[in-house]
Amino acid sequence: MCSAHATVRGFLGELVARADNDRHVIVDMEAGLEHLSRGTGRHLSRLVAVLEPYYRSMETARNVVALSAELGIDDVVVVANKVRDAADRDAIAEFCAAHGMRLVGEVPFDPTLTQAERQGGAPIDLVPGSPAVMAITRLADVLTA
Amino acid sequence: MRLAIAGKGGTGKTTIAGTLARVLARSAAPRQVLAIDADTNPNLASVLGIAPQQAQAIVGLPRSLMERRTREDGTTHVVFGADPESVLREYGAIGPDAVRLMVMGKVGHGGAG
Repeated sequence: MCSAHATVRGFLGELVARADNDRHVIVDMEAGLEHLSRGTGRHLSRLVAVLEPYYRSMETARNVVALSAELGIDDVVVVANKVRDAADRDAIAEFCAAHGMRLVGEVPFDPTLTQAERQGGAPIDLVPGSPAVMAITRLADVLTA
Repeated sequence: MRLAIAGKGGTGKTTIAGTLARVLARSAAPRQVLAIDADTNPNLASVLGIAPQQAQAIVGLPRSLMERRTREDGTTHVVFGADPESVLREYGAIGPDAVRLMVMGKVGHGGAG
């Protein structure tokens, strides 16, 4: 194991294990979950796999869910992003049902968000009332319950 | 709450992670929210609303934070040897709504290997 990787893995493990009632921790990770050791995985409350309504993205999420189980993460859920219409919604629901994945929420496709990201700032500051930001706000209750 | 968010690059996982961090920071205050960017292409800072100049000033974790220790049976292993809270203070950044950001992808290439 290269030492840069070991440093990240070690520090992430310490931070996650130490989080308690006075701190929430949110980790943004790549689909390979490279920095998660089994020990760190067990300390996570929940892992959220984000997917878009197209095959490769859904397959990647399926892999994330499988990896999470191997890492001993008990609570693994799925959130759909950039959902445009009923066809998108159905495709995702069908995929999740077929693979035993627990879909807990969705964020709509939102052009105003794309615009905010082009400017390079926080969507919650630039477009606070946008459908996507509103959806993520509602999602916070579901994901922290 | 210890939440990890993962997905294929471009799925918008970072937008969701960063916005969730801000939403939580507002509802859970004074409880602190620590957002950890463990992506090799880190851009959580921008979604959190941290200015580019401040984001660029974030320095990598030195590898010297890892220590080699010897077990009772004589084999060695590498452990994180520093105090995590002081590492957070030194290498983390504070953004809007007092969200604390730690960028993991930026591990320094210098220092003891």
